Amino acid sequence: MSYEVNGATVEHDEEGYITDLSAWNKDLAALIAKDENIDMNDEHWEVVNFLRDYYEEYQIAPAVRVLIKAVKKSMGKEKGNNKYLYTLFPYGPAKQACKIAGLPKPTGCV
Amino acid sequence: MVELAIDNKISRTSIDDPTALPCMTPDAMVGSKPFLAAPDHNTKLGFPGELVDDWKEKAIARMGYLAETNKAFKVYLDTCVKCGACTDKCHYYMGSGDPKNMPVARQDLLRSVYRRYFTFAGKYFPKLVGAVDLTREVLDDWYSYYHQCSQCRRCSVFCPYGIDTAEISMAARDIMDHIGVGQKYCNEIIGKVMDVGNNLGLNAKALKATMEDLEEDLEDETGLEIRIPVDEHGADILLITPSADFFAEPHIDGLMGYAKVFHAAGASWTVSSYASEAANFGMFIGSEENTAVLCNRIRKAAEDLGVKRIIFGECGHAWRVAYNFLNTLAGPFDFLDQNYPIPQHILEYTWDLIERDQLTFDKSKNDEYRVTFHDSCNVSRASRMGDKPGGQFDIPRNVLKAVCNNYYDMPDETIREKTLCCGGGGGLLTDDLMDIRKKGSSPRMHALQQVERDFGVTHMVAICAICKTQFAKMMPEFGFDREAILSAHQLVSNAIVLEGQIDEDDDDDEDMEPEMNGASATGDGS
Amino acid sequence: MISTLYALLFYVATFLLVAGVSQKIWIYWRTPSPLKVVVTPAPTTNTGVVLRMAREVVLFESLFKSNKWIWVFGWMFHFGLLLVLIRHLRYFTNPVWWWVSLLQTVGIYAGFAMFLGLTGLLIRRIVVNRVRYISAPSDYLMLLLLMAIGFSGLMMRFVLPTDIVAVKTFFLGLLRFNLQPLPMDLPVLVHLGLVVVLMIIFPISKLLHVPGLFFSPSRTQADNAREKRHVGAAPAGR
Repeated sequence: MSYEVNGATVEHDEEGYITDLSAWNKDLAALIAKDENIDMNDEHWEVVNFLRDYYEEYQIAPAVRVLIKAVKKSMGKEKGNNKYLYTLFPYGPAKQACKIAGLPKPTGCV
Repeated sequence: MVELAIDNKISRTSIDDPTALPCMTPDAMVGSKPFLAAPDHNTKLGFPGELVDDWKEKAIARMGYLAETNKAFKVYLDTCVKCGACTDKCHYYMGSGDPKNMPVARQDLLRSVYRRYFTFAGKYFPKLVGAVDLTREVLDDWYSYYHQCSQCRRCSVFCPYGIDTAEISMAARDIMDHIGVGQKYCNEIIGKVMDVGNNLGLNAKALKATMEDLEEDLEDETGLEIRIPVDEHGADILLITPSADFFAEPHIDGLMGYAKVFHAAGASWTVSSYASEAANFGMFIGSEENTAVLCNRIRKAAEDLGVKRIIFGECGHAWRVAYNFLNTLAGPFDFLDQNYPIPQHILEYTWDLIERDQLTFDKSKNDEYRVTFHDSCNVSRASRMGDKPGGQFDIPRNVLKAVCNNYYDMPDETIREKTLCCGGGGGLLTDDLMDIRKKGSSPRMHALQQVERDFGVTHMVAICAICKTQFAKMMPEFGFDREAILSAHQLVSNAIVLEGQIDEDDDDDEDMEPEMNGASATGDGS
Repeated sequence: MISTLYALLFYVATFLLVAGVSQKIWIYWRTPSPLKVVVTPAPTTNTGVVLRMAREVVLFESLFKSNKWIWVFGWMFHFGLLLVLIRHLRYFTNPVWWWVSLLQTVGIYAGFAMFLGLTGLLIRRIVVNRVRYISAPSDYLMLLLLMAIGFSGLMMRFVLPTDIVAVKTFFLGLLRFNLQPLPMDLPVLVHLGLVVVLMIIFPISKLLHVPGLFFSPSRTQADNAREKRHVGAAPAGR
């Protein structure tokens, strides 16, 4: 189970989450997104970058509410809501966006 | 297949009869299997990492051990008469038609092996009594079908002997864990609680940052300094809530509701970063040792913080463990204030305040919702709230009726002690089991469709982290809005009127989601 | 010769029944309940538990909630059987207890109820696909055995009457270890032979639901975990 990107092999788990978080790069993200049928645009990247920054600081993905707030701040009120995040990441902002951002899957009752 | 005469109920339209049965389809779900746990997930919990060589002997030995040390397991294996009373009661059977999802057939996957090795009849006349050898195929069936049981106990209500398939499922998972066949979802998560304190893996720093963020939101919304304290020594109340309440929607709105209630009551409270999880997946895998380890984290947090009371947030299986097991596995709690229930449920706490007239509500704040209540399976059939049996049904409804004007119940055979599981309980709330989750949720979703049609119900309230996540996922599949699932304390939060709070009725954000209007009220101060 | 054989069989069967069921009850009794696993809503007191159990035993309360057909047939069979058994006490008591004589007529009709109930259960087992799916050969045989016992009994009473006084003498003799001859009528021999079989398989079959019912923790525990710490013993080892 691995992604092939730019000649490198990046291992992932059964669900497509990469196992070595340091192996992430933008090309890999685009590749994972493609597998998820997502065509990355600026807004996708903005979410992904926020997730990665947050993760760097806290070693965990942000709460959905925190993410929404950040989106609202940068993209405006009309996009700062759960619905809009779902249009960006149809399988759910937490899980799908984390996968693309190279973060571990949020586990538990979420 | 031609259905024969009496009682072979066949699905008509499901909205009219949410518990109608489909055509029986053998092996329809045989391919449903969750991911296996990695070796380090298993060893962390004290189990072998991978399938051991002598797994048959080990499995049979573990089965014998459980029969000797667990009355329920022993009696339930011996007592079933195959009367059929349970056969149409499981939501996974209603949803899938796979006969091995009938409770008795699910039990029989293990009972037939037990008979073969532990009973006279099964040893000498296996064919006669349906006893079978433990083979790889049998083990595969165990892994598949014991992960299609949410341990919701609905079957047990209808069994003339009270046989509880949950007990058999837990035992089966325990046996499988003991031979190195663990489920990734549960075992990985239990390990995370041991390492970090919660299912999410949310560390103290992140927890504090998130709570500060929520405090900001609360202040933006109300103009009041409403706190969500973390690790506050000397607080009176320790709140143990599912970590989903710190992370997911609509869970987090419920958490903000708890905070407002505590604020209104002037209570001194805290959450703990060490025991930042109410859910106890140790029960899902039937492991008393692991359940006890997680229970004792809560005890330690209570002792370390010097609290007087423990209150649990909205979480179903967690409340079963808290209500029924905590005292046994981590008690006695003689260091806590004995004047309060140990532990107490947040809804008991809120309802008590309402009864004593300590809270003020503006019910019209919830007028946009026409709500119904989903009784969470383990709250309903494995716990209680209040002093009287059945309080677990009445108290949540009482609270909801106190905070909103439009409340309607779903059909009788789908609520209270007969409630249907959400389809994601008992360790099934994982993406690799999405098919069975959807099938299992269909009876409940059809019941919801019925009250939508008959009473115009728009939203369903749940008091369990699993239910909320599961329904948020399932709602769109059944024609509802993803946000049609609410936390009970989210409605409390909407309606509660706090002393000195700013009035935000003139909110101009008509297009905003109801959950969002608070944060935007002051034009974002962050 | 046959009388002696039957006498012997009855002694052996009685021993196996009593010893077997006692052993099972002992095992159920001593097996610990590590945790509180009562199915709620449940009574909070022991008196409440006794009442709950009484409703289960007498009215089959949970079964009634579940399925009216199984309940009707099951209840007819079990209470028919109870009355029939009470009526049969007349073959073991001399003089016959007054309250047993009182049930004489009812006891006979109960025989029909029992047979009818069993027939209903058998038909369900064959006709309802869900129940058919979960049935092993032994599940059918058990019903057929009970039906054959009932049928041979009713035959004796209504079609081929036997020397009932001699039968009673035989059983009173068994109780006093004083062997008496049994009437050599086919229905009697079949009836008693099948009863012997039933007694022998009782402790090794699903008939264990009779004692099992009283040891089911989901029903027999009180809902008082917060008020009274449940100490279950036997912590699960690894």
